[in-house]
Amino acid sequence: MTGQAFFVLTALADGPRHGYGIVGEVAELSQDRVKLKIGSLYGVLERLAAEGLIEPDREEAHDGRLRRYYRLTRDGRRALAEEAELRAATARVVRARLRLTGAQATG
Amino acid sequence: MTGDLERRYRRVLRLLPGWYRQQWEQDMVAAFLDSWLTGDREADEYISKVAGPSWAEVTSVAVLAVRLHLAGPGTPRRSAWGQAIRRAVLAVALMHALLAVNVLVFLMWGRRLVGWLPAPPASLVVAPGGVWDMVYYLVCLAWIVIFLTLAFGHYRTARVLAVPAIVPGVVALLQAQLTGIMPAPFGPWIFWVLVDFAPVLAMTAFHRDAPPTAPRPWLLALPAGYVLVYGPLLALQVTGNFGWLPDFSGLCCILVSLACLAHAPRARSRQATGPGLWSLTLVLLAAVAGAYRIVTLTDYLHDPHLINVSLVELLIVLAAVALVAPDAARALAATPAPPPPRPRTMAT
Repeated sequence: MTGQAFFVLTALADGPRHGYGIVGEVAELSQDRVKLKIGSLYGVLERLAAEGLIEPDREEAHDGRLRRYYRLTRDGRRALAEEAELRAATARVVRARLRLTGAQATG
Repeated sequence: MTGDLERRYRRVLRLLPGWYRQQWEQDMVAAFLDSWLTGDREADEYISKVAGPSWAEVTSVAVLAVRLHLAGPGTPRRSAWGQAIRRAVLAVALMHALLAVNVLVFLMWGRRLVGWLPAPPASLVVAPGGVWDMVYYLVCLAWIVIFLTLAFGHYRTARVLAVPAIVPGVVALLQAQLTGIMPAPFGPWIFWVLVDFAPVLAMTAFHRDAPPTAPRPWLLALPAGYVLVYGPLLALQVTGNFGWLPDFSGLCCILVSLACLAHAPRARSRQATGPGLWSLTLVLLAAVAGAYRIVTLTDYLHDPHLINVSLVELLIVLAAVALVAPDAARALAATPAPPPPRPRTMAT
């Protein structure tokens, strides 16, 4: 799973969001490290929808334009949980190695 | 009120394929407008007049458009094009790798880096070069690695390596153009566009859902291709028959023609498997070789003999591609065009 897809799924984890809402949420989650352009966002959304990880939730009129909201599917929630676990496990290994090499360097 | 701004964004979104726009355009426009509009009527009116898509936004849409055109979701017709483009890109990368191996072989031989080889003819001795020569050798090495990573299926690595590999070429061309030492008006530029830039752009067809490439035939093609292509060329050089050496666009025409001739019996056979994908690939490669040959004709306007030779090469490639073109057309006709997508059912 790419970093962008991971952040988009995470942005939808606590409820449906529309396109620009996802952009803002991803920026906040990543502390502005990931700033999705609309073209990139819809590339990711199209791929995630094709993989069955997200689906449209509803459309709402806002200032004369329709905002489409997206939500995680059950598969999407499972994929996100697995990816988060994988990343956390990787981070644990990295931290352990850093501690090990740090101890060797100072020891 | 926001009509002008919306129109500007819709114009950019025309880069995207029609089937994709039907499904996503409305939503993308709403997201674009959300990124600008504040809800304040006066401010939004002003913004609508002056604002528009930034270069970064246009680039992100253009990148998405290239990916979707080359590697959109799998309808059979698009899948056939995708596979043909991937094979054509691999073939061009193979050509780059062969060229690179040849350059490095000559470098080692010309500088006597392999002691047991006999001394090269004086015409092949490579003089020590400057920084540009070093960059050129590094680019050659990079193309060998790019070809191997593509063949082994490491597509992302290949794309990452390919982008810097084509930069020195365009820098050298700009430098030659600006200093007035460009040897020919169009040939070097068209080489860069067709043989460097276009294949690197087309590498987006190697997306992660693409069926994996069987590496073995491509890996065998590298040594076999070197012996079959550069063996005869080396023999011509060593024996001093330089007049028979084709230029690079001529060499491309000859190789594509030979490949078409070799594939023609299979393309005409009804038992052929893999419906016409190789024929489609060869048509693509012939189009590139033909375009390259046509543009480089302008380099030989001073020499009627070279013009005649180039025209013969062009005719040969046209005749050869005619043998496989019907099979390529059948392959596309056998695969239906993508149906218009149905609007998604939205929960309300």
